[in-house]
Amino acid sequence: MTVAISIESLTVRFGEVVAVDDVSLSIGEGEFVSIVGPSGCGKTTVLNLLTGLVPLAEGRIALLGKAPAIGNPDVAYMLARDCLLPWRTALGNAGYGMEVRGIEPGARDARARELLARVGLKGFEDKWPKQLSHGMRQRCALARTFALDAPVMLMDEPFGALDAQTKLQLEDLLLELWNAHRRTVVFITHDLAEAVALSDRVVVMSARPGRIVADVPIPLERPRHVRALQKDRHFLELYAHVWEQLESGLGAAAEAIT
Amino acid sequence: MSAVASSRRTVAAHLVFVVAFIALWELAMRREWLSAAFFGQPSGIVAYLWDGFATGRKLWLELGYTVLGTLVSFVLGSAAALALGLVFVMFPKVEHAMEPYLTVLNAMPRLALAPLFLLWFGLGLGSKIAVGTSLSFFIVLANTVAGIRGVSQDLITLSRSLGATPRQVFFKVTLPSAVPVIFSGLRLALIYSMLGVVGAELIAAEHGLGQQLAYLQATFNMNGVMGLLALLAVLGMIVTQGMTRLEKALLRWQ
Repeated sequence: MTVAISIESLTVRFGEVVAVDDVSLSIGEGEFVSIVGPSGCGKTTVLNLLTGLVPLAEGRIALLGKAPAIGNPDVAYMLARDCLLPWRTALGNAGYGMEVRGIEPGARDARARELLARVGLKGFEDKWPKQLSHGMRQRCALARTFALDAPVMLMDEPFGALDAQTKLQLEDLLLELWNAHRRTVVFITHDLAEAVALSDRVVVMSARPGRIVADVPIPLERPRHVRALQKDRHFLELYAHVWEQLESGLGAAAEAIT
Repeated sequence: MSAVASSRRTVAAHLVFVVAFIALWELAMRREWLSAAFFGQPSGIVAYLWDGFATGRKLWLELGYTVLGTLVSFVLGSAAALALGLVFVMFPKVEHAMEPYLTVLNAMPRLALAPLFLLWFGLGLGSKIAVGTSLSFFIVLANTVAGIRGVSQDLITLSRSLGATPRQVFFKVTLPSAVPVIFSGLRLALIYSMLGVVGAELIAAEHGLGQQLAYLQATFNMNGVMGLLALLAVLGMIVTQGMTRLEKALLRWQ
């Protein structure tokens, strides 16, 4: 497998505090990798370094052979907050990323409509964000992200603010879109079930200073259905395994302090 | 009871109250329970306004001066404030340097400057526009800066990660997100422009509703005073309503 993202000996310090300690990680092209860990473990920091929003100080990062840079056209970025522009309709928001990247209006519109239909928002193109539910807004954000056609997708707890039911629906939707357009995905979450259900690999980080304590392959068959997986024996075993790794990471951090 | 029927009843109740109040007022004057020389008389007020706008038509000119002064003050003050607000946001050092002076100017009751402006700009439109502008300017300036500063950082982060240039971020995110706050400033500024203009006219002017008001008060024409006060209230309401409608049309997304 060709490497899409490589991170080598990444260390991040905020003043005296070491937030991320010597993290190395290699992610293959088309791979779906989740990074889990307790809050404050630096997982979001790692993602922000990949987007170029936080400058790299120690270590090396390459995305498709390039150093991270803000506005890298190879990257699409999605956050827990939907970040829809409230003065734009669903259609205008779905097309916003393409607009910023200079796609001409005709093509942009057609693609935005197509993606909105894919995420189940057909008929809602002309609605303002305030007229949409939380789930629908996040669907719209998904459409905006996938409309970019970027080979790398960086997602920072994209479903973290949703209720359990809506979350399951959107996880399935994400898998469906991802199956249709394979991208390299780095998915940050603190929800282990979500990480196991979606990913090819789950990377477990310890509490601060963030280190990688485990890298667990998830050999569940694809295509997957998140809801059906909840009762799958193999899924539950993997989930329990990742849990153990996470707990040992917490324990290690506690020992390090004492 | 449906909402429409309920609101109709409310309107009807208000009408009954207003009519009763005016009737009682008129009665009180006719029976001389109170002195019409101090409070005016509804029939006299109507007669004054009728003469001013329909038969004598003298009031149109005064109204015109006040409205023109208000509009010019509003446009000048708002435009200058928007421009300076943008400069402040782009160059915080400028804001930092100018802030103490602006605070002092803003703290000063601007109407107190009217005598000075009268001396500088004369009895015509100039002096009242100066007062009106000085009022509207500070309101719009504060709201412009607050609106631009209040933009959601998440939206900026997302746009930057998408590769938006600073110019794109400004026009596609910062400015549209500031519009509601700026607009509420503009609405207030229009009212305050009128306040400044009428206030300046009251002190001294050749024309304008404020000048008429001062004259009528000095000549003990209470019907005229009351009539003009009612007219100013209506004018203020029209202005506010107009701005509200414009706001609704522009900010449908809110």
